[in-house]
Amino acid sequence: MLKDYPKAIVTKDGDSVLLRPVTAQDEQELNKFFSEIPDNEQWFLREKLDDPHILSEFLRKLDYKRIIPIIAVRETDGKIIANLRLHLSSAPCIGHVAHLRVMVHPDFRSLKIGSWMILDCIKTSMDIGLEKLFAEFISGVEDSAIGAALKLDFRHEGTLKDYIRDSKGGYRDLIIMSRDIQTRWSDF
Amino acid sequence: MPPLFRNLQVDEGLGHFSHYSSIIQRLEDFETIAVRPGGRVTLGIEDPNIIVGYCVGSYPDSTDRWAALGDLMYELAAVEVSRNYRGCKLGEKLLGMTMNDDFFEDKIAYMCGYSWHWDLEGKGMSAAQYRSMMKHLYGKFGFREVYTNEPNITLRAENIMMIRVGLRVTPEDQMKFRHLRFGMKPK
Repeated sequence: MLKDYPKAIVTKDGDSVLLRPVTAQDEQELNKFFSEIPDNEQWFLREKLDDPHILSEFLRKLDYKRIIPIIAVRETDGKIIANLRLHLSSAPCIGHVAHLRVMVHPDFRSLKIGSWMILDCIKTSMDIGLEKLFAEFISGVEDSAIGAALKLDFRHEGTLKDYIRDSKGGYRDLIIMSRDIQTRWSDF
Repeated sequence: MPPLFRNLQVDEGLGHFSHYSSIIQRLEDFETIAVRPGGRVTLGIEDPNIIVGYCVGSYPDSTDRWAALGDLMYELAAVEVSRNYRGCKLGEKLLGMTMNDDFFEDKIAYMCGYSWHWDLEGKGMSAAQYRSMMKHLYGKFGFREVYTNEPNITLRAENIMMIRVGLRVTPEDQMKFRHLRFGMKPK
């Protein structure tokens, strides 16, 4: 599965970007990536990978059987411009599903990088035999990602009202979306 | 019709079914491909004259996006095995015979797999499983998946474009092809 990487995409402004799995050698660039995420968005990170110690520990314990972390790297200078993690489970009762989390650097949004990474994640999910993919997005914060997911045939599964608290103490809904991975001929 | 095709018949397992139609069902279609410049037809024939599988290739049609790179590009348009002859690696043999040619070292050979052409019912597979099968089959001959914004490929997530870059294809041509995959015309 990971031998298929890197995978190249070209953005509408002509930049060549490579999608590939994270390695321990990416620590410095990943630190830079997370440090450049605005404070108001860092607040919502589930794993505080903007903390260099936590990131270092994450990379040290990297296990592709549990998490498949994919980054988008601008080919000209090696800058990491997006990050996606596919969280797998070894528990047999939920081994058929996975959860994805995606974040795109603010300077590189509106270039469909996130869409390509989600599509790449869908294809990887097909290739490793997953049946369902879940994603969670914060209403009012990740609306672009919700739009991208809908275009890639994710559907709205449910809403957890007031599940998220923002940095000002206000509440936001968590939108749960899912996508079936295994299409049968009857789906056509 | 050339003598090579004249006395052949197409096995009934290559045809039209309730949820699937073979891409090629008539002898005349093989002839059409064979007489094109660069056209290739590889047949699997059950003695004495029954076509039970085929692999066909040609340069892209002039209306195809990939034709913008001229004869650098070569399409493996289809490889198919009759429903009655599956499970004996005939597809692999047909593709292998077709690709066994130094000709391809100057080409970017490509295939486009669209799930609405796949015999999911006959194979008893999901589209994702069929896609994995295609990746495995073509992967044996040096093909790898690439991403593109070509509308037919992007219509369904399981659709796939795979390429094999010949050893003599220059890095400049490879970069032109990469840009063309995302709708940017070669300069």
